[in-house]
Amino acid sequence: MADFNLRSDSVNVEQIMEQIRTRIREKRGVDYTEQQIHELAAVKLEKFLDPKGVRSDLLDQFRKAQPAYEPPELPNFAFEESTLFESHRAPIRWMRKLLAPLLKLLFNPNPLIQALNIQSRLNAMNAEREARREAARRGLDQLYYELIHNLVLEATRTGIEVKNLKMRLESVSSRLEFNERRSRALEGAVVYKSAPEESPAPPQPQPPVQQYQQRTPPPPRQSQPSAPAPSALLVSAAVQTAAPADATTPVAGAPGAGEGPGQRSRRRRRRRGRRGGGAAAAVIGAAGAAPPAGQENTASADLAQPDDFDGPEDGDDSAEAQDIAAQGTKSAASSPAEDTPAHVSHDLMESYAPAVDPVETIAAPVAEQAEQAREVDHQHAAVPIAEAAEAANQPAVVQPPPISAAPSDHAATDATPATGEHPATGSGPADPDTNRQ
Amino acid sequence: MKIAVVVQRYGPSINGGAELHARYIAERLARHCQVEVLTTCANDYVTWRNELSPGVEPVNGVQVRRFKVNHERDPLLFGKRSERVFAQRHSIGDELDWLDAEGPTSRALVDYIAKHAAEFDYCLFFSYRYYHAYYGARAAGGRAILVPTAERDATIGLSIFQPLFRSVRALMYNSPEERAMIQTISGNQDVPGIVVGVGSDVPNNPQAFRFRQKYNIRGPFAIYVGRIDQNKGCTELFEFFQGYQKDPTTRLSLVLIGNSLLPIPHHPRIRHLGFLNDTDKFDAMAAAELLVMPSYYESLSMVALEAWALGKAVLANGKCDVLKGQCVRSNAGLYYDGYEEFVGALEAMEHNRWLTGSLGRNGRQFFRDNYDWPVIERKYLEMFERLKAGSPARTGDPLPGWFDRRRQDLPAAEDVLARLPAGPALGQAGSAGSTAAKSALLTESGGRRRA
Repeated sequence: MADFNLRSDSVNVEQIMEQIRTRIREKRGVDYTEQQIHELAAVKLEKFLDPKGVRSDLLDQFRKAQPAYEPPELPNFAFEESTLFESHRAPIRWMRKLLAPLLKLLFNPNPLIQALNIQSRLNAMNAEREARREAARRGLDQLYYELIHNLVLEATRTGIEVKNLKMRLESVSSRLEFNERRSRALEGAVVYKSAPEESPAPPQPQPPVQQYQQRTPPPPRQSQPSAPAPSALLVSAAVQTAAPADATTPVAGAPGAGEGPGQRSRRRRRRRGRRGGGAAAAVIGAAGAAPPAGQENTASADLAQPDDFDGPEDGDDSAEAQDIAAQGTKSAASSPAEDTPAHVSHDLMESYAPAVDPVETIAAPVAEQAEQAREVDHQHAAVPIAEAAEAANQPAVVQPPPISAAPSDHAATDATPATGEHPATGSGPADPDTNRQ
Repeated sequence: MKIAVVVQRYGPSINGGAELHARYIAERLARHCQVEVLTTCANDYVTWRNELSPGVEPVNGVQVRRFKVNHERDPLLFGKRSERVFAQRHSIGDELDWLDAEGPTSRALVDYIAKHAAEFDYCLFFSYRYYHAYYGARAAGGRAILVPTAERDATIGLSIFQPLFRSVRALMYNSPEERAMIQTISGNQDVPGIVVGVGSDVPNNPQAFRFRQKYNIRGPFAIYVGRIDQNKGCTELFEFFQGYQKDPTTRLSLVLIGNSLLPIPHHPRIRHLGFLNDTDKFDAMAAAELLVMPSYYESLSMVALEAWALGKAVLANGKCDVLKGQCVRSNAGLYYDGYEEFVGALEAMEHNRWLTGSLGRNGRQFFRDNYDWPVIERKYLEMFERLKAGSPARTGDPLPGWFDRRRQDLPAAEDVLARLPAGPALGQAGSAGSTAAKSALLTESGGRRRA
């Protein structure tokens, strides 16, 4: 008679349980057996108890503080069979010995003798045991002390490591954020720069904000976007804000006024050839920050090589960040509050400056630098554009006249940037030359 | 053929495991032979108070003869003697005193068996641990067949029961684990024995929707059926389930059915419905996703068998050898040994409907093959026939004498239990699982986890 007819269809419980256990082990990490745990515990204990591991003299001090243990002299007595009958006088001793049988007739002193003898032995044994126990306790105390001492050391070291790791994590996260922002800004710049390479038309000096805004809604009647480098954007912004009144109409006597299209295009080609950075640097220098002529190029190169930035703790990088922030702030400060080029600078500023913020050691100098730069720019905001152009050894970049269906109607409005809307917003005038091209 | 069923309590309202087991067997065997139940007037297993009237009365077509209990259980005395025999070195006299304190001490019942044993072909004694089984089996001599319903607790370590296991005519075990344990401790391999268990009257068409509507229960849920007691592992169940609920993806609730001796935790996903009648209980089990059996000690979980009969998967406590063995043999349930395994198993069962479906199907087949009533009845009848054709009864060991009873040379029962080998008896369970199912479980669960 079969007890059970076993049957298994599509599942095997033992296998499923094994899978579940495997998954638990994977989730939990290493699954130690009891024996392994004991071994590990033993290894660690040995390490703790290794005298080489004790790295200070605290233990010696502890030992000095505790004098060597000496067992106390506990009172005791010796009680033997003849103790009751002893005497220093021989006759008395003899008499007692003689009369002892008589005494034993009256009462039995043996239990008393036995009890006192046992008590004496017990006292001695107790004293020995106490001494042993105390010595063992003191030995254990020392072991505990070593253990605690090493634990404190390890805990302190771990705490310091944790703190270091936290700081490092903060540093890395801020670097990451900075790099992300910088790469975003560079991406924008690169996209912006690729457009004119496709265009056969020469680049047209144009309000930079308008050029930035072309990435989102294209301005009306703007046929070809031009793409200056980011440094050029800053320059253009500075130029734009430095001479807002001249931007709307061609200035008499200014280059380009009354010239033919051939002369203008040659002049533009020349200008474009020179515009590697010298003009920008010159304009910035004229604006008051006074960097060397190659400074703008350096900044551009840095922007193009984000890997060079080693983080906020790097002194060079902080200097770069300060420069960037200061330039951005300059651009922002050199324009009126509602002027659109200032928005461009603010965009750049937002792209760069917050990345430096998390690190206090860098953020504070950057903020101070930016503040100083803002003040300086306020002082130099009215530097004539001609001076800037002269410093750059090139003709001043003049805002071309607006292009619109009714330029004369908008001319007066656009000539006052503080009140009028900028062309970049879409309602203002555009460059007629650009339109023609 | 006339059979006597001897059990400590008996009645339609008595739902204890062994008592219900005895009633089911008596009622089923009554279809094939004449059955008389010999029991006590007790209704409460804690006090053994005489609550039912002595004499003969029919219960569901079976004649029941009741005898008075000599004395109620004194809990303090019982506790003291339990401490003595379970935890300390003791004598046979101490164990016999413990047996007397445990109850139900009914000398009238034993006397009746001694006088009328010859009128019966066989006497089926249920639950080895009680007074009626120890003295009644001796009184019945070679007609005694023992249904031990033994659990892996310290009682099995008492030395007075070892001669009992060796002296009865046959043993009807509930599980291979129980058989292995008893054979190990008593060395009764030559005593005829068979793993039988018990069936259950599971309705053919339980109404899950009716239960959900009646008790306003929505969503998937696991069910626990039984006394809600610390001894049944319910405290651990509550703790584990609340831990499982920390996973926000779970939707599983826990529905508890049965009288509670524990405070039920206030948790929105734990619902206690109290004691339900059989109709509602089976409706609830049909509506559940799975049954949870957290008990550490079971000789045969009838609730698990009922769940399998209804095609429901079971999640059992792996520390209970019997439950674990049943799960493995049937391929119809998972088991846990700690919190992490509980969560892992419950997660697998909740998120893999095919798994619970397959486990349930296996369980249904396992029940049909091994615990359906025709199978159980056949096993009993075949055992009777086998004993009739076999050798006559053996004489049991005599009761120890005055000096032997007082010799303090018996080890603590807990120590004896600790020395017993543990684990499910899987020697014959050559279950082979599907590799495809394994990989599917891995893929599905892992994929969901990753997602």
